[in-house]
Amino acid sequence: MAILEEPIKGVLELKNYIDGKWIASKGEFHDILNPATCKVIAKVPSSTREEVNEAVASAKKAFPEWRRTPPLARCRCLFRLKELLEENFEELSRIQTMEHGKTIDESRGETRRGIENVEVATGIPSLMMGENLEDIATGIDEYLIRQPLGVFSCIAPFNFPFMVPLWFAPYAVATGNCIIIKPSPRDPISQVKLCELAEEAGFPPGVWNVVHGGKEVAEALMEHPDVKGVCFVGSTPVAKKVYKKCGETGKRVIAQGGAKNFIVIMPDANLEKTIPALMTSFYGNTGQRCLSGANALVVGDDKFYKKFVQGFVEAASRIRIGYGLDESVQMGPMQSKEGKKRVLGFIERGIKEGAKLVLDGRKPDITGNYPSDCFLGPTVFEDVTCDMEIAKEEIFGPVACIMRAKSLDEAISMIHTSRYGNAACIFTSSGKIAREFQYRVECGNIGINIGIAAPMAFFPFSGMKESFFGILHGQGKEAIRFFTESKVVIQRWW
Amino acid sequence: MRLKTASEIVKFAGELEEKSANFYEKMAERFPERKDIFLSFAKENRKCKKMVQRAYSEVVSDALETGFSFEGMESGKYLIETNFSQNDNVRLLLNKALEMEKKIQKFYLDAAEKSKSLLADVPRVFERIGKKREERKHKIRDLQEVV
Repeated sequence: MAILEEPIKGVLELKNYIDGKWIASKGEFHDILNPATCKVIAKVPSSTREEVNEAVASAKKAFPEWRRTPPLARCRCLFRLKELLEENFEELSRIQTMEHGKTIDESRGETRRGIENVEVATGIPSLMMGENLEDIATGIDEYLIRQPLGVFSCIAPFNFPFMVPLWFAPYAVATGNCIIIKPSPRDPISQVKLCELAEEAGFPPGVWNVVHGGKEVAEALMEHPDVKGVCFVGSTPVAKKVYKKCGETGKRVIAQGGAKNFIVIMPDANLEKTIPALMTSFYGNTGQRCLSGANALVVGDDKFYKKFVQGFVEAASRIRIGYGLDESVQMGPMQSKEGKKRVLGFIERGIKEGAKLVLDGRKPDITGNYPSDCFLGPTVFEDVTCDMEIAKEEIFGPVACIMRAKSLDEAISMIHTSRYGNAACIFTSSGKIAREFQYRVECGNIGINIGIAAPMAFFPFSGMKESFFGILHGQGKEAIRFFTESKVVIQRWW
Repeated sequence: MRLKTASEIVKFAGELEEKSANFYEKMAERFPERKDIFLSFAKENRKCKKMVQRAYSEVVSDALETGFSFEGMESGKYLIETNFSQNDNVRLLLNKALEMEKKIQKFYLDAAEKSKSLLADVPRVFERIGKKREERKHKIRDLQEVV
């Protein structure tokens, strides 16, 4: 198959976007590699604390006027952004494939889900409306107004470099706040492109900012007294630190952490439809997503179990691996060599722990002539038990752990041994079983005959236990509440 | 060749539409007395291509089975023959057109069946185009009777 044209030619030197200007950072630069080709496609700076301060100062300066801009006028900027995103849909998607490695179908899916958040946020004149009750006492009325707070920041992960900032930024600016996005230093290019489009859409200087960098920039944003809130998506240890730090500095926080998601397959599941859904769940985005299936928990007798394992392994072994800009490819490389190394470590540990390696992805068959540095194939372990590290820890790669349970009760108990609570899915033909599962399982996102329980933009992206720290979630109405203060007015006129 | 991903299916649909549009344009040149109908077919083909692309890009989601829904579809089953020589008469070419339309229709209906998990829009568009192809086949048969 032919490779789609690459939108990035040469090596981009990425700049910060502060106060409506593209500014070269004084910090050190490091290379961004295309994980499929291992070619350098960009250089990204680690911005200085002064640059973070400049961005915060600019956002703070822009806030009063932006806040006074009528919601309808603010949402017109979002309408223009939506239009520009549609016009640049393909380029944005291809950039994600180049910087992250995901397949073009996955990148387009990510672009679409990002755009959906912009679409939802365009409803801000209705979404931001307050509440009103007449006569709380005779002749006295009470009403609630939602007001923006000021400057927010978003610390983005590498696995969805384009979409995740859009879980927050459109709502932040629609409600009248200003935002500073710190893209992942591993794949920041699509955020630069998004910011170019935001600039073209007409957001005033200081409303939408991008500051590149890693931990130091994140810390500077969290420590800055003028930043009112932080949205973070990443690993659990870092999410905990972000939550703690924001607590100490009195900031609002959404901190989404890691996951270890169980997928329960009941004996009445329609395997013909279940298996393709599981391929997406376990191997989509090369397993690098917090909603990925990790542990496939099969309920049923030996015959059903064998049939399931055979179908699963056969389908996984057919997955075509290669450069995501080849449209026939179903799974791209890991985003980095380090990520691959980490997954290889887990595979080794799984073998040592006594799990049975039934599909070994360590030496994958790659479509096309690409260096194998970041590539891994689908891997399947059988005979995995809850006490094994591979069943407990987030592997964040294309590794499926197949486990068994005697009943739904046992399956739910096994799910509850996990310290995570991001997602859990069940495949069944029984509504009763599905309801029972949905009712009892302690996870924020539940899939019923769905392998990736990814909430749409108008629903909150939920999460429980060590997968989420905070109260309000990103996306939809909860994002509106996160980005606004509820002011209550009680009035009486004589 | 096996078509596995949604992206491949959309591209393949576009190729089928483009090839058959070119075929009808050549037919229009060759048989100017039937130019209007052949050009209308070509125009409709390009519209179908856009409909498919739009439906895909509007509903594509990384969370659905875009990479795995089309397992089992082989492009070889739907390859269309669009070449014709100067000696081919109108009857022969209309037969060729009918065969071509049957294959295209089969492609869309198979793709609709496979893509039922990709939100409603994609299979709906495939089915709609499949229906249009049925109407097209009738029109070609009507033409066969009058030429």
